[in-house]
Amino acid sequence: MAVAPERTRAAIYEGTRIPHPIPTVLKVSAELEATGDVLPINFGPNHPSTHGVLRLIVDLYGEDVVGLEAVVGYLHTGFEKNMEQKSWWKAITYPERIDYLSFQANELVFVLAIEKLLELETPEKAVWMRTCLCELNRIHSHLVWLGTAALELGAISMFWYCFREREQILDLFEMVCGTRMHTRYFQAGGLAEDIPLGFYPEARKFVSWMPRAVDEYEALVDKNKIWLERTVGIGFLSADDAIALGQSGPVLRASGVDWDLRRIEPYLAYAECDFNVPVYPEGDVYARYRVHMDEMRESTKIIGQCLDRLEGMEGQPWIADDRKVVLPPREELHTSMESLIHHFKIVTEGYRVPEGEVYVTLESPRGELGCYVVSDGGPKPWRVKFRAPSFVALQATATCMVDALVADMIAIVGSLDTVMGEVDR
Amino acid sequence: MAIDKRLRDQGMHTERLLWPTKGPGKFETEIENLEQKVGVTTLSKAVAWAQTKSMWPDTFGLACCAIEMMSIVGARYDIARFGMEAFRSSPRQADLLIVSGRVSHKMAAPLRQIYDQMLEPKWVIAMGACASSGGMFNNYAILQSVDKIVAVDVYVPGCPPRPEQLMEGIIRLHEAVQAGIPPAYNLRSVAP
Amino acid sequence: MSVGSTELSGDAGSAGVGAENPVAWSKIHGVSHVETGHGETTLVVKPERLIEVCTHLRDEEGFNFLSDVSAADYLGWGGHGVSGYIGTAAGRDLNQPMTQGLQTLPQPKPKRFSVNYHLLSVTDNPRRIRVQTWVEDGEPVPTVIEVWPTADWHEREAWDLMGIPFEGHPNLKRILTDDDWEGHPLRKDYPIGGEPVRFSEAE
Repeated sequence: MAVAPERTRAAIYEGTRIPHPIPTVLKVSAELEATGDVLPINFGPNHPSTHGVLRLIVDLYGEDVVGLEAVVGYLHTGFEKNMEQKSWWKAITYPERIDYLSFQANELVFVLAIEKLLELETPEKAVWMRTCLCELNRIHSHLVWLGTAALELGAISMFWYCFREREQILDLFEMVCGTRMHTRYFQAGGLAEDIPLGFYPEARKFVSWMPRAVDEYEALVDKNKIWLERTVGIGFLSADDAIALGQSGPVLRASGVDWDLRRIEPYLAYAECDFNVPVYPEGDVYARYRVHMDEMRESTKIIGQCLDRLEGMEGQPWIADDRKVVLPPREELHTSMESLIHHFKIVTEGYRVPEGEVYVTLESPRGELGCYVVSDGGPKPWRVKFRAPSFVALQATATCMVDALVADMIAIVGSLDTVMGEVDR
Repeated sequence: MAIDKRLRDQGMHTERLLWPTKGPGKFETEIENLEQKVGVTTLSKAVAWAQTKSMWPDTFGLACCAIEMMSIVGARYDIARFGMEAFRSSPRQADLLIVSGRVSHKMAAPLRQIYDQMLEPKWVIAMGACASSGGMFNNYAILQSVDKIVAVDVYVPGCPPRPEQLMEGIIRLHEAVQAGIPPAYNLRSVAP
Repeated sequence: MSVGSTELSGDAGSAGVGAENPVAWSKIHGVSHVETGHGETTLVVKPERLIEVCTHLRDEEGFNFLSDVSAADYLGWGGHGVSGYIGTAAGRDLNQPMTQGLQTLPQPKPKRFSVNYHLLSVTDNPRRIRVQTWVEDGEPVPTVIEVWPTADWHEREAWDLMGIPFEGHPNLKRILTDDDWEGHPLRKDYPIGGEPVRFSEAE
């Protein structure tokens, strides 16, 4: 297929496909440059298939991709610097917009970091509801991924099917959190408000419907010859390469590594949930697609278990009791002076988080999402850094694209499931 | 609002086409009556009607607002009813630029280039708080409102705006076009 | 190596709750001292010993996954008096007159910038550890790209946003900000930027 000659490169380890010396850039070899037939093309920031504002500078030799460089930064927002200016409470609104498809996972990682520094315990109801919402968010993220990835490969009707279920999930979010996206429902200590009545029956309806919806998606593309031609055997990433490149989440699991932070380092209520972790050894685009589909089914199972537990927790507290951090209930403000003072201090200055640094990770739909927080003991964060899985996933583009055609590039970049808001922060 | 004033000058009213209980609007009755009575309509009104009924947007989704923009293409908030489901990737074929998401300084140059590549008449909707004013990101990296580089017709607030909010913005733009209001680049230049 | 062992005599660091045998970590050649806190272990390393420690951790200890490279700027740290968490013993003590209750300043930091490498062991024995190195403005840090290829973009980001030069990096260019951007935005002496907001007609 490819007429490009063998590239000799010093290996980081034997058998690696990672380009050398720059792991993220495929360089055109000198022999090909000499032919004069290499065409550099710019897949610019505004492109329908690059999942946001990603720029790929691609060198083509016919249809083969012989050179690749990814340019990012078109959505750099300065989140981390903005968060240093706000109090801990107000800074919670920012992380959601980083990965705008799994917004609650971002919020959660920051809130978990604050709670770790504060050594604050959250009540059981909050833990289970957070788990439930995170899994709903996982399904939401996978649905949007599937809809757009399939759209780019030509399976256009998948988009409408996926967005039909997505609307159901957003209805659930709106019912609980008040808004469809960027819900800002998690607080340091628990949830912002109690779970409304009527959530459980609606969520149950969704849980019973979702597996049939996943069956429909699979019926559309799973055995479709065109889909299989375009995804099987494309964009290979071996397990060792994946670990060396820092991949996590579905990309790592599709390369055969059984690694899921919900299982290995359980946070929230995952230790008590019964679910499987899909792992496929092939390491190609089709394996990543299968991992996503299976994860949607597993998430539905987890949500069902969360609902079982939550329905028995009517009337329990949804936020911690520590008045130094959590607002007191409003009826107490009329009777207790300390409550009034606490309320005033929290709302004006904000609560103070003790000095220290923590690194909290969780399994976002894209992989390992990490948050490094440094606190100086004051009311504002000193440094917040988000380890975005998509930032790292894009680094693997060059490795996956060794010996690929230009049409495969769309499939590969799509399968890495990148969200540019996360990449650029 | 500037648009309301203009419509009043023309002797028309702002209409909300999304009211379920509302009957046909004044403009629509006017057009229908004209066609029934006279059998011909003025050329500019016909052209404006055609522009409105199939105003194709450009795929310019940047950030979170892009996801809500995609959901108006979805089946629930169906924008195909308004003839706009054909999102053209090439700016040469697009009429409407919905700037959905935060515009960083690095992205400002490509944005202006896309805008310049669009053929006239072209309209711009600044969707969301970040495109309208910089949003919650009042910092070094984000362009504080996209009207610093392009002339904006409609600002849609929200973070992100609900799909119905975006549709309201689009419908108001349609009404403005049908009322004869020229696109924004004829009315004002970019903000200082 | 004898050079390594003389460095670590005496500075075993504080053994906190959940610390995983800090004395064992401090025996690695090149580690200056070990800190623990909130269940996390931090190995503090001098920049010139960084690659040695990282290679040892990857090959001998099994930390084959570099999760994150975070740089932090401590300019102005401790400049204003901050107290600890109000409700704790380290926090406010209003019985002390004329102090407004403020008791503790945050612990001083050795240099201006810290570069933190968060490592993870993707093996049957999953563990996390942080390797921390301290540098001044302009002081270079050797690149760990040969140890973990994923460090490529992380180090470019640290260079772009914090201005920490990485020695030996094959492609140290700006990544998130524009190519001709001046300054390093996340430093504490770089202004937040933006525009003043007008809230009413009167302004």
